[in-house]
Amino acid sequence: MSRGSGGGYDRHITIFSPEGRLYQVEYAFKAVKAAGVTSIGVRGKDSVCVVTQKKVPDKLLDQTSVTLLFPITKYLGLLATGITADARTLVQQARNEAAEFRFRYGYEMPVDVLARWIADKSQVYTQHAYMRPLGVVAMILGIDEEKGPQLFKCDPAGHFFGHKATSAGGKEQEAINFLEKKMKNDPEFTYEETVQTAISALQSVLQEDFKASEIEVGVVRKEDQIFKVLSTDEIDEHLTAISERD
Amino acid sequence: MGDSQYSFSLTTFSPSGKLVQIEHALTAVGSGQTSLGIKASNGVVIATEKKLPSILVDEASVQKIQTLTPNIGVVYSGMGPDSRVLVRKSRKQAEQYYRLYKEPIPVTQLVRETATVMQEFTQSGGVRPFGVSLLVAGYDDKGPQLYQVDPSGSYFSWKASAMGKNVSNAKSFLEKRYTEEMELDDAVHTAILTLKEGFEGQISGKNIEIGVIGNDRIFKVLSPSEVEDYLQEAE
Repeated sequence: MSRGSGGGYDRHITIFSPEGRLYQVEYAFKAVKAAGVTSIGVRGKDSVCVVTQKKVPDKLLDQTSVTLLFPITKYLGLLATGITADARTLVQQARNEAAEFRFRYGYEMPVDVLARWIADKSQVYTQHAYMRPLGVVAMILGIDEEKGPQLFKCDPAGHFFGHKATSAGGKEQEAINFLEKKMKNDPEFTYEETVQTAISALQSVLQEDFKASEIEVGVVRKEDQIFKVLSTDEIDEHLTAISERD
Repeated sequence: MGDSQYSFSLTTFSPSGKLVQIEHALTAVGSGQTSLGIKASNGVVIATEKKLPSILVDEASVQKIQTLTPNIGVVYSGMGPDSRVLVRKSRKQAEQYYRLYKEPIPVTQLVRETATVMQEFTQSGGVRPFGVSLLVAGYDDKGPQLYQVDPSGSYFSWKASAMGKNVSNAKSFLEKRYTEEMELDDAVHTAILTLKEGFEGQISGKNIEIGVIGNDRIFKVLSPSEVEDYLQEAE
């Protein structure tokens, strides 16, 4: 195996390229974009909302089994954007880790601790040659006891940040531009405003109006702290409110 | 370490005798955000730019300067995720030292152990070197100390140093301004002025981070408002 100057292997495994870049990590980011789905997350004053497109590629598929929105514990949700198979394996490990945390320490795993754990795991894949990075960007949402509503985003490079609003997937940059304008003056959205900002951001970026069955919405609210996936009826209410508002 | 399929080193010598993976790692560090450190007569200051990818990022959730022990702090330039691994390992090594000797770990020893970890990743099978350089600031019985550790695992003690994008300008600036009799407050001002030199955009308490340790031997990261106070004095 020729390894002197990367020998072409800097594109196959996560070693440095001559410019100091990790090509495999960059390709993992491309895989997330190539999945063709865009997701949005918005943090309000006392709630967090995440929205993603629900693309069912085949009419024969059972729609209820096509999902990218996963509860990790009763109080923590994870929205995965990218390769579905990688997402499922990440979710499985995250669920295990959160349950062990609860057992070991006697209290629920906080949002930022889970986000850090996922990010640290992703970092290992960028440094060890035997495993490739996962082609998933994960958005974690939950209510922190001390800090209130929290939205974290973890990427294949192992970065993680808390966000006031964020996006991932095919139209990530357009969505972020849209959200930056909306969040410029640090608004404190109510629950309805949070959900509607998230949904209308997705509509604006993809330039289409959705039916309730074409998107998935997950929320967590300070009043009950439980992560909930909204039903099609609840999504319909918000969609109607948005179209009436415009 | 790693799978048996990869039990060969990925960092190997080129025909000219260079370890190119380490050089590439240094390139990665050189494209990271600028950070610097200054050793004063009565303390050490370390500082870094904190440029976040978007205004949507909650800057309170990000802290680049980390505490390793109550009297040792660290800042990095390069790949953030890699730095987290080193911070975690260093903290654990410091605790293990304390458990064995019932004494806080001396700065040089912690630096040496961290550097050893970084060197191991340049030689072990199936792993790449860390894409970070660290500036370690501490105060122990030997007084204030500042060390820089590179991806190769080599470390040096510095009176003042800089790393990252603006390293050459920053170092020339520091060479002109540094004096051995400098006190901690002056050092903080000099650090801010050095960062300001290469800073794109408006510098504020929210887009830089400063950590200090003085005679009290407690490492502290300044809050954004404390940084603002220093910035206004430097105007």
